[in-house]
Amino acid sequence: MEKRETMWESYRRRGLSRRTFIKGCVALTSLMGLSSGMVSKVVEAAETKQLPVVIWIHGHECTGCDESFIRSAAPLASDLILNNVALEYDHLLSAGSGEPFEEHLEKTIQAYNGKYILAVEGAVATKGSGIYCMSGGHPFLETLQRAAKGAAAIIAYGTCAVSGGIQSAAPNPTGSAGIGHFIGAKDVVNVPGCPPIPEVMTGVVMHVALFGKLPPLDSQGRPKQFYGNRIHDTCYRRPFFDAGLFADSYDDAGSKAGWCLYKLGCRGPETYNSCGNIRWFQGMSYPVQSGAPCIGCANANFWNQGPFSDRLPKYGPLGDIDKIGAGLAVATTAGVAAHGVLSVYQRSRRDAEAAESDEVKGGEDK
Amino acid sequence: MKKVQREIFYVFSPFLRVFHWIMVASIIILFVTGLLITKPAGILATEPTATSMSVDLIRNIHFTVAYIFLAAFILKVYGFIINKGDRLFPHFWRGYFYAQTVDVALHYMFLRNEHASYLRNPLARSSYVLLYVLVAIEFFTGFAMYLMTEPDAFSTQLFAWVNVVLGGEMITHYVHHYVAWFIILFAIGHIYMVIRAEFMEGESEVSSMFAGTKILAHHPLDEDDVDPDELDNADRLKRWTNVGEGISKIRNVGGN
Amino acid sequence: MKHVVVDPVTRIEGHLRVEMQIDEGTGKVIDAISSGTAWRGLELVMKDRDPRDAWAYIQRICGVCTTAHALASVRAVEDAFGIKIPKNANYIRNIMAASLTVQDHLVHFYHLHALDWVSPLEALAADPVATANLQTTVLNAYKLNVTGYPGISTEAYPKDFPKSTPQYYATVQAKIKAIVDSKQLGIFAAQWWDHPDYKLLPPEVHLMAVAHYLEMLDKHRELVAPHVIFGGKNPHPHYLVGGMPCSISMDDGNAPVNTDRLAIVDRSINTGRTLINNYYIPDLLAIGSAYVKAGRVDGGGLAKKCVVAFGAYPIEEYNGTTNGGFFKKLLVRCNGVVENFGTPNVKFIEFNQEDLQSPDTISESVDHAWYEYDKQGASLHPWEGETKEHFTGPKDGTPTMWKELNAGGKYSWLKTPKWHGKLAEVGPLARYIVIYQRNKMGLLPDPTWAEQMMLQQIDMVSKLLNVQPEVWMPTMVGRVATRGLDCQLSAEISKFFFDKLITNIKSGDTAVANMEKWEPSTWPKECKGVGVYEAPRGALSHWVNIKDGKISNYQCIVPTTWNACPRDDKAGHGAFEQSMIETHVQIPDKPLEIVKVVRSFDPCMACATH
Ligand code: HEM
Ligand code: HEM
Ligand code: NFV
Ligand code: SF4
Ligand code: SF4
Ligand code: F3S
Ligand SMILES: [Mg+2]
Repeated sequence: MEKRETMWESYRRRGLSRRTFIKGCVALTSLMGLSSGMVSKVVEAAETKQLPVVIWIHGHECTGCDESFIRSAAPLASDLILNNVALEYDHLLSAGSGEPFEEHLEKTIQAYNGKYILAVEGAVATKGSGIYCMSGGHPFLETLQRAAKGAAAIIAYGTCAVSGGIQSAAPNPTGSAGIGHFIGAKDVVNVPGCPPIPEVMTGVVMHVALFGKLPPLDSQGRPKQFYGNRIHDTCYRRPFFDAGLFADSYDDAGSKAGWCLYKLGCRGPETYNSCGNIRWFQGMSYPVQSGAPCIGCANANFWNQGPFSDRLPKYGPLGDIDKIGAGLAVATTAGVAAHGVLSVYQRSRRDAEAAESDEVKGGEDK
Repeated sequence: MKKVQREIFYVFSPFLRVFHWIMVASIIILFVTGLLITKPAGILATEPTATSMSVDLIRNIHFTVAYIFLAAFILKVYGFIINKGDRLFPHFWRGYFYAQTVDVALHYMFLRNEHASYLRNPLARSSYVLLYVLVAIEFFTGFAMYLMTEPDAFSTQLFAWVNVVLGGEMITHYVHHYVAWFIILFAIGHIYMVIRAEFMEGESEVSSMFAGTKILAHHPLDEDDVDPDELDNADRLKRWTNVGEGISKIRNVGGN
Repeated sequence: MKHVVVDPVTRIEGHLRVEMQIDEGTGKVIDAISSGTAWRGLELVMKDRDPRDAWAYIQRICGVCTTAHALASVRAVEDAFGIKIPKNANYIRNIMAASLTVQDHLVHFYHLHALDWVSPLEALAADPVATANLQTTVLNAYKLNVTGYPGISTEAYPKDFPKSTPQYYATVQAKIKAIVDSKQLGIFAAQWWDHPDYKLLPPEVHLMAVAHYLEMLDKHRELVAPHVIFGGKNPHPHYLVGGMPCSISMDDGNAPVNTDRLAIVDRSINTGRTLINNYYIPDLLAIGSAYVKAGRVDGGGLAKKCVVAFGAYPIEEYNGTTNGGFFKKLLVRCNGVVENFGTPNVKFIEFNQEDLQSPDTISESVDHAWYEYDKQGASLHPWEGETKEHFTGPKDGTPTMWKELNAGGKYSWLKTPKWHGKLAEVGPLARYIVIYQRNKMGLLPDPTWAEQMMLQQIDMVSKLLNVQPEVWMPTMVGRVATRGLDCQLSAEISKFFFDKLITNIKSGDTAVANMEKWEPSTWPKECKGVGVYEAPRGALSHWVNIKDGKISNYQCIVPTTWNACPRDDKAGHGAFEQSMIETHVQIPDKPLEIVKVVRSFDPCMACATH
């Protein structure tokens, strides 16, 4: 195995000064949402840890996650993949292809056994032993399991890798699922989103690259720093929600004024993501800011929770549960009223019968 | 007019009764505010700069009442501990329970002229268990939604599993909303049944939830469920009073 | 005879395997197959969904040509319901479509294709001073000074100019050297760098192109800012059946679209124009002309026999596709088919609504694809389309360990789309061939500014290369070159529709959504629609059947499905296979020419199989 250089060495090699290096570390510290007291730790990590190797594999996916990754502005994707990690295998960007490329994967897995970061984009197709997602002549499932074995850390990029994504939506024709069940007892960093925000994706790699360990995760394996808030709780339209000011329809006065999109089906109250705080393209926008209700794209199973235009599912002409419930309430009231009338009738007959039998057996009681 | 002897049973402790009425009020408020949360009414809107934050206010009422409701449940638990009448549960594990259920059901379906007398009939017993289950679902789903503003807090961890088990917060919200309607359907049926029992069957149901006592014209089959040891026959006789005319046929359907 | 497999073909979207039989003596490819090796069943996922949500689901066919499928989907649903979108929505969608094309093409050229032409290793031998000089030479020689769209301009001068100092190139070279020395080649690992093709260009061109590769990796994100403004994110911005969700208000800072937000769009469009004019086009033509001069005019394939395009950019809002509204006022009237391009038998046939509706014109068959139809051997129109998977495994190997696929039987997850029973190539090359031929035959009356620009581009390139369009266009280089021209055109088209948007808002019209037919109660009990769009990779069509308010069938025929499809027993090979067959391979063990010609199509396999 070749000696791998540290981030500090790579700065030196490029003739960059110690000052530039420290500045880079400071930027990274804030990027990773760490307090400034952590700078020295970041510096230390960058000085002493070797450049980590990243292997990026693709299952059932749309490459939207890769595309998002290369849109990262801080760190720039170019800086990340040419300076801070060694991206040894990636179907989207790697130069090689075919057999030599597959051999390179094997060699990398062996050479860096127990040390590389495995990034997984896409779901696992499980039906038919994996024949619906083949690459290099064998199922993606096999590649995943082989690569997972020696990985130091596994990152599941995007809703597809985390929980199955679009192809696992009903009726899930290929039996697709998130990678969680197929990688043994390894820890996974789940980075959901369809796709995730670019800086969220690169931020996770930076953390692992510098600290040599996974970022703090929540109970669902998501980095707390990026998935610690619901969009609803960080949404710039929240004051309008609280005030009861809603867009009732697309393009109405409320929507032009930027009022809350709750009534148009917004999933912000159910969705953990950084859309409300980091936003897309460094604060430029997020669906809600562009007038589109959130569809909850960072949630497991969100594809089966349509229609997206309503907060409650509608059952054709029956309407939603409120309409059905009100109907049932009316029907129940009518039912109990009828029952009451019948009960009165039953009692009067019963009393009459009792009176009759009293008369008949009148003598016995006395 | 023929005088009929009626027996008075002390069934519900004040703790249960107070809880019951808090529950009635809470559920009505929670239901109305809940529906308004899903579909905020137009009249709620105010300029955000104005101080009264309307949907915010509705939500806060919902949450406050939810907490009051939860706190009141402690009353119920206390009553449950000190008074046997507060724990009239369905005896699923006893054969006669099913025979009695059939008896009551047949009566409600007008296939029997009357059912036997009970302190709390087996159908009612089951329906209250169902209600408590529904309320529990509301609590768990409600708090799962409410607390997730801080997903990493300790209190949240007590409820976060709900979202996972149900398959996501969106489902939690559906479940919370659907179950609210089932509770309302229960309430309609329940109110009817207690009024019916009061006026049709001569069982002083409604008043029992105020006074705690049930005044029955017939000897209840489930009498043992309330303090049978404390009552010897003499005591019991003392409590017979003449309160009016009634029916004196008791069909023994019990199995024990 | 050598059986050569390349799997995975990388630097594309998705899972592609190619196999070929190469005559080792002559380097001739005797037979070739192209196989999409993954299938997600997204057409089946669409069943029973709310048609208003269709765009969100089907957009996930592809995150590279993100929005392509969303746009085709809303167009199909609007066609089914008879919804006419507001003017602004049409302009905004066109800006989004054009900016997708700009970004997608640019990323393809630099990040997905460049490493087939240039090598970081060759760049090490370059002289930084000579490279800086070369940069100037290239700009002078290959910058196409075409007449773009002459609208209002907010730019004082081009902001991005290639850095051409020797120091700059020395730094980049040092960077490459360090990577090579560290032996951790990262993304540059495992390529056939010793292939003789890399010697076709001088080291300075390699260094310049690699430097620009890095520049563009940082820049391309800015080109899709319009998606983020109008759709909230990228990849996968949000759409709306009936228009766009981004309401416009000049009164409100919270509004999705206001002056401040439009300025971001304007900046992005201008950045695209300068990047293309100063980097992409000169780099492309410098490399391309070297290849043409070296006589490398192979790889044309099906482009010489049949190309298809549906037409692009409705200038104003229109009423339906099935009824022909879409085709009435197109900015680029490339809706047509050209057969036998460059031969005396050349034919141009206009393509319009009748062609969309007839099963004789558009159909898909599955004889060599891992599907089956109720009626064996049938070729189905997409409104009657079926998607029933039927995997048959390889010829040699096991279902989960392939050695050789079954060229005689089923071997791919792509269906085989056909135009009048014939296979066709789609894409930028098809669009340019159609416009060129249509004009040449006098069938393009009153060319729009965009069509004029296309003709001018073709003319200028022909002069630069000193060969006729009929010679350079239907080749691998021509395919790559027309993509660059398409990119340049698309940036101008963005500008054009941006101007229209501003003018319309100025006139007081801020509507972006037509909500008349939003409620399911306003929908017919049963209806069907089609949405077409000239995606970056070519003619895309979505076909929807709706019943009782729900989708009852959804079919997509996607550009890469046309190009990468398996063979048809009557019609022959698809565009990928045909171009591979027409490509000469120097070293069968290192089939760089093959992956290069395949990548010249910008393959998108997730798109193709869906
Ligand atoms: C019988 C008891 C309850 C009833 C009938 C009830 C009813 C409702 C209804 C109908 C909704 C609207 C649901 C939706 O569509 O989102 C709602 C929302 C909610 N309820 Fe309850 N609820 C009950 C108890 C509780 C409890 C115990 C809590 C705990 C704090 C709670 C917390 C919430 C929360 C957090 C919401 C969502 C509010 C929002 O989205 O802002 N609920 N409730
Ligand atoms: C939202 C409305 C209501 C709910 C959810 C509700 C719920 C309940 C529950 C759970 C019990 C069982 C008490 C226990 O064992 O813990 C109960 C008993 C009772 N409730 Fe209600 N109640 C409602 C309204 C009313 C009203 C309006 C009345 C009076 C008119 C009433 C009268 C009674 C009576 C008399 C009992 C005792 C029945 C027996 O044990 O035979 N309830 N109720
Ligand atoms: N083929 C294809 Fe797409 C494009 N351009 C689709 O419409 O790439 Ni993903
Ligand atoms: S998560 Fe979404 S963007 Fe990422 S690969 Fe899956 S479908 Fe594409
Ligand atoms: S727009 Fe959505 S996320 Fe924002 S406040 Fe309204 S409901 Fe919440
Ligand atoms: S749809 Fe996705 S991108 Fe953000 S606002 Fe909602 S999570
Ligand atoms: Mg299809």
